[in-house]
Amino acid sequence: MAFGVFTEEQVEFRKIARDFFETKSSEKEVRRLMATEDGFERATWQQFAQELGAVGIAIPEEYGGQGFTWAELGIILEEAGRTLFGGPLLSTVVLAATALLESGDEAAKQKYLPGIAAGETVATVALTEESGKWDESGITTPATKSGDAWTISGAKHFVLDGATADLLIVPARTEAGVSLFAVDGTAAGVTRTPSITLDQTRKLAVVTLDGAPAKLIGQDGAGWEILQRVYDVAATALALEQAGGAQAALDMSVAYLKARVQFGQQIGAFQALKHMAADVLIEVESAKSAAYYALDALVEGSEEFPLAASLAKAYCSEAYVTAAHQNIQFHGGMGFTWEVPAHLYYKRARSSEVLFGDADYHRSAMATRMGI
Amino acid sequence: MSLEDDARDWIAANWKGVDDLDYRNKVVEAGWAAPDWPVDAYGKGLSAAEARLVSKLFTAAGAPDPVRNKANFGALMGNPIVEKGSDALKRKVLPKLLNGEWERGCLLYSEPGNGSDLAGLQTKAERDGDEYVVNGQKIWTTGGHLAQMALLLARTNWDVPKHEGISLFVLDMKTPGIEVRPIKQMTGEQDFNEVFLTDVRVPAENIIGAENEGWKVLQIALKEERRMMGIELGRRDAQPGERPAIFSMSDDLIEAARSAGRLDDEAIRQEIMKNHSWRMVNQWNGTRAMRELQSSGGSSLASLGKLAKSRILHQGWALRFKLIGAKGLLYDPADKANYEVDNQLMWAFINSIGGGSDQIQRNIISERILGLPKGHEADRGIPFRDVRKGGTFTDEKK
Repeated sequence: MAFGVFTEEQVEFRKIARDFFETKSSEKEVRRLMATEDGFERATWQQFAQELGAVGIAIPEEYGGQGFTWAELGIILEEAGRTLFGGPLLSTVVLAATALLESGDEAAKQKYLPGIAAGETVATVALTEESGKWDESGITTPATKSGDAWTISGAKHFVLDGATADLLIVPARTEAGVSLFAVDGTAAGVTRTPSITLDQTRKLAVVTLDGAPAKLIGQDGAGWEILQRVYDVAATALALEQAGGAQAALDMSVAYLKARVQFGQQIGAFQALKHMAADVLIEVESAKSAAYYALDALVEGSEEFPLAASLAKAYCSEAYVTAAHQNIQFHGGMGFTWEVPAHLYYKRARSSEVLFGDADYHRSAMATRMGI
Repeated sequence: MSLEDDARDWIAANWKGVDDLDYRNKVVEAGWAAPDWPVDAYGKGLSAAEARLVSKLFTAAGAPDPVRNKANFGALMGNPIVEKGSDALKRKVLPKLLNGEWERGCLLYSEPGNGSDLAGLQTKAERDGDEYVVNGQKIWTTGGHLAQMALLLARTNWDVPKHEGISLFVLDMKTPGIEVRPIKQMTGEQDFNEVFLTDVRVPAENIIGAENEGWKVLQIALKEERRMMGIELGRRDAQPGERPAIFSMSDDLIEAARSAGRLDDEAIRQEIMKNHSWRMVNQWNGTRAMRELQSSGGSSLASLGKLAKSRILHQGWALRFKLIGAKGLLYDPADKANYEVDNQLMWAFINSIGGGSDQIQRNIISERILGLPKGHEADRGIPFRDVRKGGTFTDEKK
């Protein structure tokens, strides 16, 4: 994939993905599922994995995946963002699969990746704790070793799909530093409490571990190195989702500006609103450029990737908030209602802004990554 | 015969090491000066890629780049003539644009009463036998005092709505009745001109396209202007040995913060990274626009760049101004570095006003790309003679 162009196959793949999300994640479905505790249905997730091949798309074939690249997964993420898809895409496909693939732990990869790719295992990474810090200092929970067996005690907060995940990948501190552990979601000593979230389409949980049995993934003490990579990949993935959501919010705005009549004319003819819409368009297109560039850098394995990932997350966070905010403003009183879905995009935009570090956090990271 | 052989043979036979008018006329007659123009317009009907190859073949052989005059002003001034001009006009004008006799052109479009509302222009061209007699005033003419020729927009019919009564002309700047006066800018410099046209007689054959068709022909000229802007936007790849742009594109801001001892100030770092992100996404938008243009011939992204650049320039120079602190109080050309900051702080307005202000750009973007409806225009569909003309408001009730 060259930056800025999609191949014919990718254009075709986008159509298929869009069709899937428009039926499986229609507004009606989104509203139905967001009112449930899980936020998604296993059957749909398995269909998503098996019919669309979308879960294992970037997982190598030897681990049961399709062995495509992140370029194709990027398309899925953008389209998922357009329709506020509530499936465990970020948790399972982005966080957990990346952590496993980056761990260098062959046994763990063989054990968990095929189930993930098949849509049978829902997995997540419990990135942060009560502090809500998205850096190494956010990890304080200790893991203790007794004989050959590890146990973890502590609380993980803001865990994506934490209440439904079969596999919890838990970063914890050992004498060697931050390390990654696999914890069975239903193991003794694991208590999962669904959180009440602003964005109901994105399910979070508090996971409390009380001497929960854990299995080391990768090298003891190598956890933060792996997580840094996971964070960069996650920032890029979320940026793509944000770009898709921002486009959907703009599409909704434009449709309303054409449909609504006041003072004897379509409100889209008023320059005050037109100019806001033109500015949103710049944000949306620029968000796509930033996200595509980071995706391209990820696929190419370029040295620019970590910096491009932070730029994309910083940019797309603000662009999506702008597009979703202005969408409510364009809709006036109707935008403030539950009935019009503008609030769903706004809440998703706000939750995505915070997740994995906000724009200020990532601009700060950019500066560091530029060497200043 | 391949293009390579053709060019090599021609160079061997004609290039004698002297770049004079005689040689350049031969280049023009042979079609090398504008290879991607049609054969009936001093070109060879080649593709843009082949035209680039022609330049390479000539320079590799030690001959001057034959396309340089076209690249400079020739395309900007010549494209509408190539597409819409009569054969007589092509023969009269194109060789001069391509051989360097008319190496510089200017655009006589804007008027004091008509900036944003260009189609409301009031300069008149009245037919008198084989000539048009032009009277009016133009403004913001870059290079007006240096140009040998101009593209001139003037009104030829006052009894139809504003867009339908305009014609586009080629004007020889040596014609009697043209007075060029420099305009002093807010920066204290003089880069633009006002041009006064008093009974200027233009041969009727100098009209480009049909009478009153000028607004449509103008779009061809504007397309070339935007294409040139697109090239500027589309640059992306780092040159060998350079750091990729994502690392280096805002070195100017970083250096300024370092000099001011404020590189570790988090508020300043945030501002730099915000500007850096704007610069990068605008460049990437440009790259995407270029790729879309190449693959499908159109791109809605191409028209976003100028508007997006305004915030980059205004915020970027405001940051630089903040970083020089009290030095910003002075505007002494002897202190070059600090003078530049104040100077560029003001120049940033050229991007947000010139070539269609940011507000006009937002109208265009929202209507042409987003498809939003046009707002009320008091002069729509009304003969130009009867509409209120651009200029200064006077209360007609008094």
